[in-house]
Amino acid sequence: MIKPTCEDTFLLKKRNLKNDYFSFTFKPYVPVKKCKPGHFLQLQLPNSDVYFRRPFSIASVDSNGSIEIIFKIFGEGTVLLANLAKGDKVNLLGPLGVPFKFPKKNEQTIIIAGGVGFPPLMYLAVEMIAKGHDPKSIHFFYGGRTTDDIIEKTRLNKLGVNFYPVTEDGSFGVKGLVTKPVEEFIKSSNSNMRIFSCGPTGMLKAADAIGLKYNIPGQLSLEAPMPCGFGICLGCVKEKTDGTHARVCCDGPVFEIGEIII
Amino acid sequence: MKLDLKVKIAGVELANPLMTASGCCGYGEELADIFPLSKLGALVSKSITLNPRLGHPPPRTAETTSGMLNAIGLANVGIDKFVTDKIPFLKKQKTKIIVNVAGSKLEEYVEVCSRLNDIECVDMIELNISCPNVDEGGMEFGADPIMTEKSLKAVKKVFNRPVIAKLSPNVTSIVQIAKAAEQGGADAFSVINTLLGMVVDAETWHTKITNNKGGLSGPAIKPVALQMVHAVYSNSSLPIIGIGGIRSTSDVIEFLLCGATAVQIGTGLFIDPMLIVKIEKELKQYMKRKKCNSIYDLIGKVRKY
Repeated sequence: MIKPTCEDTFLLKKRNLKNDYFSFTFKPYVPVKKCKPGHFLQLQLPNSDVYFRRPFSIASVDSNGSIEIIFKIFGEGTVLLANLAKGDKVNLLGPLGVPFKFPKKNEQTIIIAGGVGFPPLMYLAVEMIAKGHDPKSIHFFYGGRTTDDIIEKTRLNKLGVNFYPVTEDGSFGVKGLVTKPVEEFIKSSNSNMRIFSCGPTGMLKAADAIGLKYNIPGQLSLEAPMPCGFGICLGCVKEKTDGTHARVCCDGPVFEIGEIII
Repeated sequence: MKLDLKVKIAGVELANPLMTASGCCGYGEELADIFPLSKLGALVSKSITLNPRLGHPPPRTAETTSGMLNAIGLANVGIDKFVTDKIPFLKKQKTKIIVNVAGSKLEEYVEVCSRLNDIECVDMIELNISCPNVDEGGMEFGADPIMTEKSLKAVKKVFNRPVIAKLSPNVTSIVQIAKAAEQGGADAFSVINTLLGMVVDAETWHTKITNNKGGLSGPAIKPVALQMVHAVYSNSSLPIIGIGGIRSTSDVIEFLLCGATAVQIGTGLFIDPMLIVKIEKELKQYMKRKKCNSIYDLIGKVRKY
């Protein structure tokens, strides 16, 4: 496991992607070289009454020493975060957690992203391509409630991956739940496959079930409220299928399909 | 005279008065990845019980105004695994080791403490007679003066080094319990454990943790803790380890002024894992500014109206 560090950094770039979705880039962030897809950061909001740090998965890193997170305004913490201005100081603890294990090059990669579970999976796709994976071996299924929940389309398209948008109301891409086209794809393919998923609980549950049903290995990135984020408080545990507990923050957040009761 | 941060708890010399609080640093391994544990006056382990405990099902923590509610439920590896898997790491650390012990029956406390007596690197035991989050034991012991005295006496028979009684704030008179612990042979007090609390969601009408009630910690409880430290200090000559909501150097100083010889930091580490390192540095600057050479120049020196 990588040793995390506490670093003060500054908000370099603030982009409002769509409605409540934001992209924040912080610089300087010295540990960029240690960061891998699936890692997350614990962000401390300055001078606020919000007590805990807030965990955010890494959306991208730049070797020039900057790091990006993407979030949706959801509660007290993200409201405060969205109010930060360019140049504001924040403290980042990280990189934290167990990152994704990269698939083999002969495997078809099935990515199942939902809403704000998208950032670590985009980071995974970017790093896979940088490591020589064929973009066409990556099948990026991306689900949201409406077209407003599908963010950074241009960025995904630029990667050259197979992009399958799905919305519940049909306002963009296929209508319905993301898991249906995923299952159709799996049924029609004879290749070795590997699933990666991050998103709302219902979607993760379905991704887990699909992996088990079709005997496809893969990993799920989970989320939980985390008082500490580095393993000491035992506050973020999930129940494992073997009856024990796992800490989402440092035994995860990335777990194997079938490992956790979702 | 040279400025130093050394303090003594029941004859055990600590490099500084800053300790981790039990249940807030696991067995030290994760924190050691962030800063050298030699920066600590002492490391206090998670509560160790005779048998391993899974703890309560999740969710078991909730954020509150200036604090957190938790009901972890004494999740720990149990004494056997603690000795085989965790002690080898702790033994190598250049800090004092305090093992927190909990149980649901008196015999369990005694068994665990007697096993720890054989382990040389364990400098002290902190007896958790105040956990609010288990159905049996814990607070039951620490809420009753007779049980408090009895448990201290029993443990002191099997453990030949200092025993610290960790006191609960969820009692009518913490001074009465402290006196009972002293009568039983306690060498020091940890004041306080968490305050019983409850967190409810107005939208879903649901409690936010599976145990429904839990222990409140964080800055919200600091004034309660300061008062209790001062009350115990005014009624006993035993050293006190102050605990409750510390997140800054001035918080530590307030505890010392109210009578604590040392302090423990728990929830504060979740938000800033480097907090103890930062406080150690700032404490020296403060003492220089106030022309204090020793922590003892501060202990109990609160000016009252």
